[in-house]
Amino acid sequence: MNELRYIIGGPQGGGLETTSEILSWAFAWSGYGIISDREYFSNIKGRHSYVHATVSATELPKHLTYPVDIVAAMDAETVFTHFNDLRDGGYLIYNSDDDSVNYASIPSMERELRDRLSEQFKGLGLDGTVKSVVKYLQGNRKVRVVALSFKELLMEIQKREGIVPSQASRYISTILVGAVAAITDISQESIDYSLRRRFTREDVYRHNRAMANIVIDLVKGQFGSELKLDPPKIGVRSILVASGNDAIAMAKVVAGVRFQAYYPITPAADESFTLEEYETLGGEGSIIIFQTEDELAAINAAIGAALTGVRSSVATSGPGFDLMVEGLGWAGHNEVPVVVTYYQRGGPSTGQPTRGGQSDLLSSVFASHGEYPRIVLASGDHEEAFYDAIDAFNYAETYQVPVIHLVDKFLANTIATIPMPNLDNVRITRGVLAPRGLKEYKRFDLSSPISPRAFLGDYVMWYTGDEHDEYGHINEDPINRVRMMNKRMSKLDIIDREIPEERRYSYFGPDRPDILLVGWGFVKGVAVKAVEELTEEGIGAGYYHIRMFIPFPRNSLTKFANEVGANNLIAVEHNYMAQASKLVAMNTGIMINKSIVKYTGRPMYVHELVNAVKNVLRGSTREVVSYGA
Amino acid sequence: MERKIKLTINDYKTNVWVDWCPGCGNYGILSAMYQAFADLQLEPEKTVVVSGIGCSGKTPHFINVTGVHTLHGRALPYAEGIKLANPDLTVVVNVGDGDLLGIGAAHFVALGRRNVDLVVIMHDNTVYGLTKGQASPTLARNLQPKALPKPNIQDAVNPIGLAIAAGYTFIARGYAARVQHLKELIKKAILHKGAAFIDVLQPCVTYDNIHTYDYYNKRVYDLQEEGWDPMVKSLRSFRRRPPRHWLSPTRVMVGYQLVYSWLIQTYLRSRRDTPRGCRIT
Repeated sequence: MNELRYIIGGPQGGGLETTSEILSWAFAWSGYGIISDREYFSNIKGRHSYVHATVSATELPKHLTYPVDIVAAMDAETVFTHFNDLRDGGYLIYNSDDDSVNYASIPSMERELRDRLSEQFKGLGLDGTVKSVVKYLQGNRKVRVVALSFKELLMEIQKREGIVPSQASRYISTILVGAVAAITDISQESIDYSLRRRFTREDVYRHNRAMANIVIDLVKGQFGSELKLDPPKIGVRSILVASGNDAIAMAKVVAGVRFQAYYPITPAADESFTLEEYETLGGEGSIIIFQTEDELAAINAAIGAALTGVRSSVATSGPGFDLMVEGLGWAGHNEVPVVVTYYQRGGPSTGQPTRGGQSDLLSSVFASHGEYPRIVLASGDHEEAFYDAIDAFNYAETYQVPVIHLVDKFLANTIATIPMPNLDNVRITRGVLAPRGLKEYKRFDLSSPISPRAFLGDYVMWYTGDEHDEYGHINEDPINRVRMMNKRMSKLDIIDREIPEERRYSYFGPDRPDILLVGWGFVKGVAVKAVEELTEEGIGAGYYHIRMFIPFPRNSLTKFANEVGANNLIAVEHNYMAQASKLVAMNTGIMINKSIVKYTGRPMYVHELVNAVKNVLRGSTREVVSYGA
Repeated sequence: MERKIKLTINDYKTNVWVDWCPGCGNYGILSAMYQAFADLQLEPEKTVVVSGIGCSGKTPHFINVTGVHTLHGRALPYAEGIKLANPDLTVVVNVGDGDLLGIGAAHFVALGRRNVDLVVIMHDNTVYGLTKGQASPTLARNLQPKALPKPNIQDAVNPIGLAIAAGYTFIARGYAARVQHLKELIKKAILHKGAAFIDVLQPCVTYDNIHTYDYYNKRVYDLQEEGWDPMVKSLRSFRRRPPRHWLSPTRVMVGYQLVYSWLIQTYLRSRRDTPRGCRIT
């Protein structure tokens, strides 16, 4: 087989993130491509979380879909939550000690799921225990069941490795690693590599390896390796395995960021943590990671740092961005290059802190009192995010504007294989700088819209949030006001002229598509795959991916829309309003009247998108999809 | 840049017309800053005056060093960003009492915790001047400066006490009408390595008819003239001095930080919010 999909579930804090990392590294080490999404509650310990992955022998996958081939369950709640996700003939790995656990007795399960299960179990005639579900899967769905007594396995490892009983439960996640490794036949060396990378303490590594080996032998002996993947033929020599947070952190280092301010917020904070691991103070290449008292301080400290000439950024999410808006206006007004890496999550208000969404697009584009130029980039996958994060600084400094780099929780917490970035093509452009030794320096010199920039310390200069004259002093003269507004706002025309149209979008699909999906951000992976599947079924679908909202890819989208016909455009987004379609209307006058949207906080899956497109072709104008636990 | 000619007070003045009300206490603060800068021969390019919003916010435009006039309440984050990114710059912040202790109070506390090498000069006039005289966080309860429709129903915050609790390592109070004294405080604050806070009693002649020059002239006295030793030399000396009724034992940990610091304190007895015992700090 070329593609394998699995779910691993368990209680939050139970080692699931570790499991995801180990398996991702192991598959990648063996030459396969992987994408591994992590879904979790806003909770530290106890609530249900899971990892949902696609492994491929032929590509570096960017899509997730159902049903899955394997559900590996640390606990009973996972069995109940995900048994419907399993394909007929798939594998269920679970703890047979849980056989008698009834779904109704699980306190962490939300009532709505319990009600849905109650309904389903009544229909199927199941008594609601794990055992009854397992029997149903075996009998009706031809599922192969790997029943492991975790208790016995843990006793075994205690005995073999001399672990104290209270520590033994730490190795539960490795039981699942071993079972998945056995069924898929990933090599012993790759598991060994991953364990060693994850566990730096020798004894912990040894215990985990022993545990994995016990399970691999046991499961292989009983079940063989039926879900063995074909040998990899991706053809990418060198691969990076990283979460979205980490990919962007690495890009910021490459971009030469010297100052990052942040206030802890999910799902942005991990980026700053990663950067902080590499923080050095003083000397060449120093990076300051400044954890502030709030987001107000974060953006404004970042702007202050930017004034001194360092590359400066913040990483935040919706509630934090809202607090930053006033500061962003100051930066726009004072033409300060500052980068906001914006990880969208479900809103409004606290919304869904650990779930994904794309509902902050309009806010990114419009949030402000008054008017000022800005650039808004949106990345569709890890690779785009890496290069966009670097370009964000180049654009910010070239045009002396704040740049908002939009990503989302899906990207942030998803581990993926990406081709090793090619740094040969990375350029650092710092824009127009004032020469040294001028007799007089005017920060807001009106002789061109982009005045040469000097850094604090070079010359005496003034900045103010008030309307100002060329020196940066407060000025309320009406003619000066017009000149300054024109100076700032005309940078949008320059930006529109200079950033090539091809940079702002990409297109996937046949040369002359019959229908065109229009999306952005994390929709990319699923849409590209859906378009492939639809084309295979004879439906000529293409995907138009918007990568920049300011400047907008006006001309190319108009051209596509004219060719395909406005009536054959479908907006695909993770929000209620199909926000990008509103911006399409604003920028091109084209009304997109059909939409496929998802706002459950879970990513869109290929199977539901393909179905939704077919429904649209049958006449539906709005499809709301909602698959996934 | 090597400078051969000595800079005078006039070199630190801009040609921007100073548009504060005639008689405003800010003139004294501005004057003290010019003099302090000239005394220290601060290089204009390497000196940054950061301000927030309000009458005090305009200060940078009147001084011929680099000026960053920021948002209401946010002067400190800007100043911290500037100083952390380029420690070679001398950074002096001018803020109002509403700016610092109202909308920006979180930043005031956070700067104390970090002890970044900045000078914070607070224009303390008990009112929001530029919005026409509302009560500020330093206005004591029951007082009714003339713009207020009713007497103030909230207690005042004690800026000195808050600065100590937050961890500032140089804490002082000056008076806008004692320019020479204020100048010396500003110089000491600039030379101090760490977060320095100067609370400046500054009469608002337009909206505060209570805390007038006359009011302060009668009450103000200089701690140093009374023989107060500003240096906290040891934890013991710090512990001994604060009277129990003002600094509770739970604040001793704050004092521990002060062991390593100057605590130059010109406590000018004033009005309102500070019981006489405050003079120990």
